[in-house]
Amino acid sequence: MKVTIKYYLTIFAVTLLLSPLVFHGTALAATPDPTEQLKPFLDRIVAELKSDEFKQDLSCRQCKRIVDLASEHFDFYEMSKRVLGKQWRTLSKQQKDQFVSHFTKLLQYAYIGKVEDYVDKKIEFKKQRIKGNRAEVQTLLVDANKSIPVSYIMILKGDKWMAYDIVVEGVSLVRNYMEQVRSILHDEKFPGLIAQLEKKVQELEEEKNKQGATATESTSNLDAG
Amino acid sequence: MKIFLRLFIVTVCLLLTCGALIPTAVSMAADDGVVDFLDDEFYESELDSVQVGDPLEPFNRAMFKLNDFTYTWVFNPVATGYSHIVPWDIRAAVGNFFYNLQEPVRVVNALLQARFSDAGTLLVRFVVNTTGGVAGLGDPAGRELGFKAVDATLGETLGVWGIGDGFYLVVPFYGSTTLRDFSGTVVDGLVMSPYYWWADGWEEVAAIYLSKELNKLSLHLGEYEDMKQLSFDPYIALRNGYFQYRKKIRDYSTPSYEDKQ
Repeated sequence: MKVTIKYYLTIFAVTLLLSPLVFHGTALAATPDPTEQLKPFLDRIVAELKSDEFKQDLSCRQCKRIVDLASEHFDFYEMSKRVLGKQWRTLSKQQKDQFVSHFTKLLQYAYIGKVEDYVDKKIEFKKQRIKGNRAEVQTLLVDANKSIPVSYIMILKGDKWMAYDIVVEGVSLVRNYMEQVRSILHDEKFPGLIAQLEKKVQELEEEKNKQGATATESTSNLDAG
Repeated sequence: MKIFLRLFIVTVCLLLTCGALIPTAVSMAADDGVVDFLDDEFYESELDSVQVGDPLEPFNRAMFKLNDFTYTWVFNPVATGYSHIVPWDIRAAVGNFFYNLQEPVRVVNALLQARFSDAGTLLVRFVVNTTGGVAGLGDPAGRELGFKAVDATLGETLGVWGIGDGFYLVVPFYGSTTLRDFSGTVVDGLVMSPYYWWADGWEEVAAIYLSKELNKLSLHLGEYEDMKQLSFDPYIALRNGYFQYRKKIRDYSTPSYEDKQ
């Protein structure tokens, strides 16, 4: 017992001693520009979503690739942590991992399912704002008729800006999920939440397959015509 | 028509008294905090929907189901059909026309909220769009002169005056609102809008309302489906979205997206 306390104290002391150095170090290194990181990253994702390879991929084999690509600048762990709010601390590591993986899957299906949304739209970059290790990059999703403001809320990890929230027309995705999660946790506890997430993911999966089926039909019709 | 109007005014007065009786502290707390997404505290702060409260949740959920059903099986198919027949420009012009007729109501509300510069903007918009925009069909004030649309409703005015939201309410064929805001909408919409004065009888009022909403919906097709697809409890998702969006619209301290860096 004594050993552990001493051990922790030493670590604490060392951290305290080193922290000025660390902070000084990061302060000296120029903060990378969030827009400059986000822009090529989003371009790459959109290009990927538009590719023929992806459009013809009905079983969503490419989806994994998109998620891997998205993970470069989307921090699903930070996102999940905020979605669960105060409840996060009460979960075991295993439960946390379980939630993160299910939630990531939900986002994957929900957003990758909306490919056609991006095909005829353009992302315009507006202002950015940095506050400590946080940044907000404001963009406009523009098509011929409408433009929708979309903000990316990011945290600096190492030299990489990682998005953990998306705000569409002032509505924060994280806060929206947070309230849904809260009421389910209240009524059905953690297993109920996981069950609901699984159900939703399954629904989206089926829908995606259906879409795939109609997509092949229409392409074969085109071929025939 | 007269009976109809009187009936509405009585209902509105009743609703307003109910709203006024509910403690005002609730709305003050809900309206005050400025949203800063870069602050972690923002994510831990109390949600508006929790502060306003949803004591009628079972009723609201039933109304949500009703609205969801009519939307899916009636309004959405009709609006989609309409959107295929009538080109976007014309639908947008129809939307502008209705929107422009409400501009004077917004001027009054902006004044009542002591937002004088917004009141000026709204007045300019009304004058320019009614004349240059051919009876409000176009929006030259916003597009060419930079007088962007701002909102000012009676619900908001009442909020500024310290009347509480009351509670969250889902109204059939209308959607998410609160007791206070809905009372305001009824006054703003039905009593103060000239197009309802022209109507002869409640059937015409309903017809005008429906065509106005249908036209509006045809400009926003797919948004509701998206919201529903992304959420695992659409009722809560919509309620939360309503409060977040309302807060954004009413938070005049945040610079808009239009001013570039």
